[in-house]
Amino acid sequence: MMHKMILLLMLLAFQNINADGQVYYTKNGNVSFFSKTVLENIDAENNQVISVLNTETGALQFSLLNNAFHFPKAKMESDFNEDYMESDKYPRSSFKGTITNLSDVNFNKDGSYPVKVNGDLTVHGVTKNISAPGTIVIKDGNVSATSSFKVLVSDYKIKIPSIVSNKIGESIEVKVACDYQKK
Amino acid sequence: MKRKTKRYILSGFIAMIVIAAVIGFMMWNEPHRDIKNATAVKTTAILLYNNLTKDSARMKSKLVNQVVEVSGEVKSVLKNQKGDQIILLKTNTSGGSVNCTMEEKISNVKPGDTISIKGLCSGYIGGDPDIDLPGDVFLIRCYPST
Repeated sequence: MMHKMILLLMLLAFQNINADGQVYYTKNGNVSFFSKTVLENIDAENNQVISVLNTETGALQFSLLNNAFHFPKAKMESDFNEDYMESDKYPRSSFKGTITNLSDVNFNKDGSYPVKVNGDLTVHGVTKNISAPGTIVIKDGNVSATSSFKVLVSDYKIKIPSIVSNKIGESIEVKVACDYQKK
Repeated sequence: MKRKTKRYILSGFIAMIVIAAVIGFMMWNEPHRDIKNATAVKTTAILLYNNLTKDSARMKSKLVNQVVEVSGEVKSVLKNQKGDQIILLKTNTSGGSVNCTMEEKISNVKPGDTISIKGLCSGYIGGDPDIDLPGDVFLIRCYPST
């Protein structure tokens, strides 16, 4: 009897481990953005993005430090942090949402699955609900995700002085790419 | 004489425009901060992590956006999507690291080694408290420090 109890407890414990195994994360995900302007294209990259994906619930979140964006030019980087993002005041940008068509993804089968993501994007202290298309790729049991969407600078109360407004496009193309590991 | 004065004014004007353009161009093309040769705030991975997770404004102003030289034990050596080397330094929080993206790779580095890395400190981001994933302190544009 005792043995059976222990076995049962062990089985239960195992189940818990399995449930935990549905969480994937990365701390070095990539977010980049691109803005086409008359003078010069602005292209910046952040490779220090924390992202957590729960394959059971579809919950998906991203978090990054604005000052970790790296620009081709130092002046762009300081303008971005000091004037536009006010990184001292608003150090982080984040997204918290869910994959709305989770049942279309088979995490146990290799493939490339188009997904739809909906959630709250917080940038420069302003939170807005957004929807974005993405792709989840399963290859040899590894999970990775990509997405590309457009963000309007004015939606997030980012003020760009008119003298440089022709240097920065109103609409910014944001790209996300994460290779996850199992927690 | 009058023509000469006009010419002076005109050439002065042109010189001013040229100087302004040169200054503007230089400012626009100003190089990135030289991390490798910058003076750094010396600390250890454990101390840096503890100081930045405490959420103290004083510590943040002392460390964030500063060049720091961090010594510590290597937890793991990874690669990001771009192929940059990522070195995680151990802290007292299991699952939490000082996460260093290398601009100059360190060869032959392995878990357990004690090393010193110089980089620009971006700060700390918390992980997800719901799933017990502690955050990391991030150093970018890192170099091996000798």
